[in-house]
Amino acid sequence: MTLPWITGAVAVIIAAVVLVPIFSGQAPHVAGPGGIVGRVAPVFVLQDDRGAAVSLRQYRGRVVLMNLWATWCPPCREEMPDLQRLAARERASGLVVVGVDQGESAQRARDFARALDVRYPIWIDSGQLYGRAYAALGLPTTIIVNRRGVIVRGFDGPLTYQQMQAAVGPLLTQHKAP
Amino acid sequence: MKAFAYTVVALCVAVLIETVLPDRAVFHSGWYNVALLALIVALVLYARRALRSTEGPQTAALVAIALGAGILGFAGIVNGLFAPDPRTFVGAPGQEIALAEMGGVLAFPSIADSTTPELVRSHTPVVPVSRERYLGSFILRPIPRTVVRVDAYDANGAHLTVTQPTGSVFLSPVLMMESTQEISGLDLPFDSFALPAAHRIVKAVLFSAQQIAALRGVTGTPAPAVLFAVDDQADRPLPHAIRLARSGETIQAGGVRLRGVIATYPAVDVIAAPSLPAVIAGLVLVVGGAFLFLQQGARTRFRS
Repeated sequence: MTLPWITGAVAVIIAAVVLVPIFSGQAPHVAGPGGIVGRVAPVFVLQDDRGAAVSLRQYRGRVVLMNLWATWCPPCREEMPDLQRLAARERASGLVVVGVDQGESAQRARDFARALDVRYPIWIDSGQLYGRAYAALGLPTTIIVNRRGVIVRGFDGPLTYQQMQAAVGPLLTQHKAP
Repeated sequence: MKAFAYTVVALCVAVLIETVLPDRAVFHSGWYNVALLALIVALVLYARRALRSTEGPQTAALVAIALGAGILGFAGIVNGLFAPDPRTFVGAPGQEIALAEMGGVLAFPSIADSTTPELVRSHTPVVPVSRERYLGSFILRPIPRTVVRVDAYDANGAHLTVTQPTGSVFLSPVLMMESTQEISGLDLPFDSFALPAAHRIVKAVLFSAQQIAALRGVTGTPAPAVLFAVDDQADRPLPHAIRLARSGETIQAGGVRLRGVIATYPAVDVIAAPSLPAVIAGLVLVVGGAFLFLQQGARTRFRS
C-alpha cells in the first residue's frame, strides 16, 4: 500500500470517529403520555380517599388502568361511569381501575366519587406526582400498566367504553405473570 | 520547516482551548472555523514542503505530526460547524426532555426521590448528572436554579389542583420561573399558574433577600419572597389580591390561600465539544511524532 492510500484510509476513519457521535442517535421523542410507553411504571406511595397508604406494588400481576382526574374537570366526570362499568365487568379477569385525583383534598375527591357511584379505588395525589411522571398534557389522562408493571398505553383526553375495552382486552387474555 | 511547526502549534492550541472551554460562542462562529480551515490548508502545503527535505524515519514522524494536527483541526471544525450551540435545559420535576443529539432523554427527578437529573439512553447505563460529565462530544453540566413549589387551598382549606397551561409541564405545582418581569427597574423571575377549581389565575414574581431589602414598606429581616397576584379566570385583576409571601408562609388573596416554598433545583447545560477520542488521537500523534522527529534529528547530528 502506498502512502496516499494509507492517508486516505486514516482520513476516513478519523471522519467516522469525529462525525458519528454528532449525527447518530437522533431518537424521536413522543410528547405526552404516549411517550412513556415501554417504561416501568413509576411507583409513588400515596393515600387513598380514606387515608390508607397505597401504591402500584399492591397490584403486581394484575393489569392496572390508572385514570388521572380532578373534580373540576368535566371530561373526567363524563368518563367515570364507563370506568366503573369496566372495572366491575373485568375485575375477575385481573383488571384493576384506579382513579388518581390530582392535587385535591381527600374529602372533595371522596364526595365527588360517591355522588357518581364510583366504587373503584380513588387515590389522592396531592403533590401531582403521577401527573408529572406520566407527562400529562391535560385531564383526564389514562395509563395502562401490564401485569409486569410496564406501561403499555398512554392516552390524553377522555376515552369511550369501547376504547377502554380495546386497550385492556388483549392484556387481560395474556397469562398472569409468575 | 518553521512554518510547518508554527501551523501545527497554532492548530493544537486552538483546538485544545476549544476542548477545555467549549461553552464559548466564538467556536461556533464562521470566522473561527474559516481560520481553522485555513490552518489545515496551510498545514497540508507546509507538510508537503517539509516532507521533501526529510528522509527515512523523520518522514514518518512528520507524517504523524501532520496527521495528528489534521485530526485536531478537523475535530475542531466539525464541532464548530455541525454541533449545536450550548443550550440550557430547564425541566420541571418528573419531566423528561428529549436530547436528540445524544440519542436519549434528560430525566429530571421528582424532588421527593432525588435532585440529580439523569441522561437516559437505550442500551447504555443511565448517567447521573450530579457533576460535570464529558460524554463523547458533549459535556453535561448541572446548573442550580431557584424554583418555587406552590400549594393552593380554597377558603375551606381544601387542597386545590395547580396547573400550568402555558408551562412545559401541565400538572406541576413547581414553578420554574423561566420568564422575567420588570418591576421598578428590576428584572425579576416570573411565572404563572392556574387553579381551575377556584377559577383563578395566579402570577408569581420572585424577589431575592437583597431586592426585598430595597423595597419600601417591608419590615423585618429581609428574606427571599414570592409576590402573588391573583386574577379571575379571564385574567382580570381582583381587588386586594396582590400579596407578598416569604418562603413557606401561607397568605390569603383573591379568595384562595397560597403558599410558596423557594427551593433550588438543577437545570442542565449541554455543551458540544470536539470529539474527545479524536482530540486524544490527534495529540498522541503530534506528541509522538515530535518526539520521534527530535530523536532522529539528534541521532543524525551525533552520527555526522
